[in-house]
Amino acid sequence: MDPVKKTAKELKAERRALQERQRAEKAARAAGNAAVPAKKPASGSGASTTVGSTSATSTTATPLSETAGSTKTTDSKQRHSLTKEINSKQVDMFSHLEITKGANTGLAPKEIHPAILVLGLQFSEFKICGANARCIAALTAFQKVIQDYKTPEGMGNAIRHLKWEISTIDIEMSDDEAKKLLCEKIDNFIRDSITVADRVIVEYGLQKIQDGDVILTYARSSVVQQLLLEAHTKGIKFKVIIIDSRPRLEGKKLLNCLVNAGINCTYAFLHAVGFAMRDVSKVFLGAHAFMSNGALYSRVGTAMVAMMAKEKNIPVIICCETYKFTDKVQLDSFVMNEQGNPNDIVNISTTLAPKPGLLSEWLNKPDLKLLNLLYDLTPSKYITTVITEVGMIPCTSVPVILREYKPMVQ
Amino acid sequence: MTGPRDLNAQIESLVNRLRRRQVVGSWCVSIETAMLLRQVVSATRWNQVETLIKVVKEDVGRRLVMAQPRELAVGNIVCRVLRLIREVYNSEDATFDDNSAEDNDKDSNTDDDEKDEEIKSKSSQKIRTFSFYGGSGTGTNTQSSMINLLGDGSPMGAKRASVDDYRKPPNLKPLIISELQEMINELENTYVNIIDQAMEHIHSNEIIMTVGKSRTVEMFLKTAAKKRKFSVLVAETFPTYLGHEMALSLSEAGIDTTVISDSAIFAVMSRVNKVIMGTHAVLANGGLISVSGAQMVATAAKHHSKPVVVCTGLYKLSPLYPYDEDSFNDLVAPDPVFSFNEGDLIDKVTLLNPYYDYVSPELVSLFITNTGGHPPSYLYRLINENYDPDDTDI
Repeated sequence: MDPVKKTAKELKAERRALQERQRAEKAARAAGNAAVPAKKPASGSGASTTVGSTSATSTTATPLSETAGSTKTTDSKQRHSLTKEINSKQVDMFSHLEITKGANTGLAPKEIHPAILVLGLQFSEFKICGANARCIAALTAFQKVIQDYKTPEGMGNAIRHLKWEISTIDIEMSDDEAKKLLCEKIDNFIRDSITVADRVIVEYGLQKIQDGDVILTYARSSVVQQLLLEAHTKGIKFKVIIIDSRPRLEGKKLLNCLVNAGINCTYAFLHAVGFAMRDVSKVFLGAHAFMSNGALYSRVGTAMVAMMAKEKNIPVIICCETYKFTDKVQLDSFVMNEQGNPNDIVNISTTLAPKPGLLSEWLNKPDLKLLNLLYDLTPSKYITTVITEVGMIPCTSVPVILREYKPMVQ
Repeated sequence: MTGPRDLNAQIESLVNRLRRRQVVGSWCVSIETAMLLRQVVSATRWNQVETLIKVVKEDVGRRLVMAQPRELAVGNIVCRVLRLIREVYNSEDATFDDNSAEDNDKDSNTDDDEKDEEIKSKSSQKIRTFSFYGGSGTGTNTQSSMINLLGDGSPMGAKRASVDDYRKPPNLKPLIISELQEMINELENTYVNIIDQAMEHIHSNEIIMTVGKSRTVEMFLKTAAKKRKFSVLVAETFPTYLGHEMALSLSEAGIDTTVISDSAIFAVMSRVNKVIMGTHAVLANGGLISVSGAQMVATAAKHHSKPVVVCTGLYKLSPLYPYDEDSFNDLVAPDPVFSFNEGDLIDKVTLLNPYYDYVSPELVSLFITNTGGHPPSYLYRLINENYDPDDTDI
C-alpha cells in the first residue's frame, strides 16, 4: 500500500539495531585494534549484504538509496573516525589538496539519480580508471539521467532555462525530441572526440612503429593499448616493455590484454626503468590532460619515465585526444593534484589479496605520514611529440589547437 | 701446531657464511674480513713478504671474494691489507737505507738554494708526520718523489727497485699486525666519524629525500635531528620496501617522516632541498652501485638541480671500474613484481627485477666519508692511497 513509508519505519528500526551492534563491535575492536584499513574497501559491500538479508520486504526499484541509508550507520562511524585521523596526518606540502575520503553514498542528497551515485562509487574505488573511460562513463550516466527525466508540473520556465544551460536547443522542441537530441549530442561527442579520435590517433601512430622497435609504455593508456594492438594486427614485429607502479598497478591489465593478443611483452616496475630503458627505441605515453604551457598532466610516475627517456635521448610520444587540452597552465605537480587514500601504501601485495606491511600502524605513529599522489606534471622539455586526431604536433602547439579548433572541441 | 688447521677452519667458516649471506651488510663483512686477515698474518708462517702477499691475495683473498662476488667490500679490504703489507715492508726497507740518506740531506741543506732547503725540510718533516700516523709508507713515497723532483736522490731510487729483495727486515710481523689493528679500529669507528659531520650538512626546516634503507644515513639523520628540526621524504623503494623500514625507524626518533610511492619522486622533487642516500658500493670512477631506484632519484635531483649527498664509509670504495654496468647487477626473483598466483601469464612474459642500480658519477655531488667530505673527482686519490694497482685482479 504504502511501501515507502513501511520500509522507512523498518529501516529506522534496522538502523537502531545496527547502531547498537556497531557500538558493541567498536568496543571490542578498541581492545584488539583490528586491521581497520583493510576493512574499509570491503566494508561497503559487506554492510550492504547484511542489510539485504535483514530487509526482506524491500523489493523496491531503488535498492541503492536504501543500502545507502543503512550503510551510512555502519560505515559512517568507522569512516568518520578514520578520516579524522587521516586528516590530522595531512602532508603539509599538499594541505591545499583534499584527501579523497571515499564515496559515502548515504550522505548524498536523495535527489541524485542512482546512475550518478553508482558512477561516484566506481570512481572513488578506482573501478573505472583512465581519462577516456571515466569520460565515457560520465557521459553515459548523464544520458541515463536525461532519459529518465520527467518534467515536473508548473516549472516550465526553470526547466526551459535548464535546457538552455545544457545546450542551445530550440525551446519549441518537445521533450522527447529534446531528450533525443541531447542524447544524440552526447553520443556524437563520444564518437567524435573519443572513439573516432582514437582511431585517427592510431592511424598516425602506426607510422611511428617499425619492425624491430622496442616500445616502452607506462601504466595503462587506452589509446596506447589500441595503438599497440593495431600495430600487432598489421603484422609489425615489435616488443613492448610495460612499466607499472604502486599502488594502482594499472599496467597489469595492459599486460593481460597485450599478452592475450600475442605481443612479446616484458613487465617491470618503476624502480627498474633505468635498467629497462637501455634497449628501448621509443616511449609511448598516455595523458589525462594537456596544459596550455605544453605540460602533460598524467598518472603519477609518467614524469619519471619521460625524464629517464630524455636522459638517454629516446623519443617520448604522447597520444592524446584534443578534448583533453585545457586552457589552464601549470608549472609543477603541486598546484593541482589529487591525493588518494594513503592506506593504499600500507598494503604491500601486488595481487588482489591485500597484505598489510610494516606501516599498518602508521596512524598511531605521530611523526609518520603517508602520501599517495595520483597525478604528476611532465614538463614540456621531456616530450618529443604529441599525436592527436588533428595531427602530430609539438607539445608547445597545444594553445594553438585550442584556439583554432575551439568550436569543435566544445 | 694447531695454528694452520685452526686458521683453515676460521677461513672456511667465513667463506661459508659469506656464501650463505649470513653476514649481512658491507660493514660487518669488512670487519670480519679484516679480522680474519689479521689472523692469517699472525698465524701463517712466512719468511718473505712475497709469501705473505701470495697467501693473503690468492689463498685467502680470492676464496673470500669468490664466496660473494657482489659484496665488493670483501675485495676492498683484501686490497687494503695487501697495500698495508707492502707499505710497511717498503718503509722498513727504506729506513734501513734512510740512515744513510738522511746524512746526504743534512749535507746538501747547507749549500742549496732556499727553495730546495724548504722543500727538503718539508719532505723530511713529511716523513716525520707520516711516521706519526703509524709508519705509513706514503711518507717514503712522498720523500722519494719529492727528491726525484729535484733530480737528486739516485741512491733512493736504486733502493726503491728492490721490493723483490729477499731480505726480511726484522720486526715486520708486529708492525703489519699493528697496522691491521689500526685499520680495524678505523672500520669500527666509521659511523662515528661520519655522523660527526651531520650538523654541517643539515639545517633547520629542510626537506630531505632519501631512498632505501642505509644504516649510515639513518644514524646521520638521527644525529642531526637531535639539534635541528627538519622533515624527511622517504621513497618506499619497491620491491624491497626498505623505505618502509627506514621511515618507521626515523619516525621513532621523532623526525617528521613522510612515505611516498616511487612514482611520486619526480613530482615532489621540486620542494626537496637535498637528497641524502647510502650506497652498496662506490666504484673507481665515482659511480655508485646502489639499491634499485636510486638512479631515478639521482636523475630527478639533477633535473631539479638538487644536491645528491652519498654517506658511505671508505671501506665501500672499490678499485674496480665499471666497464660494463651490468657486471655488478643481480636480477633477483620476480615474485614480488608478479607472483605465481597470477597464473598463466607467467610463461609468456619476461619479468625484470634488478636488485641494484648504477648511478653515474655526474649525478653525485658529494661523498661524506669517515675521512671527511669529498667530491667524486677526488676518489682517484683515495684509491691511489689505499690500493695497489697490482691487486685489482683478485
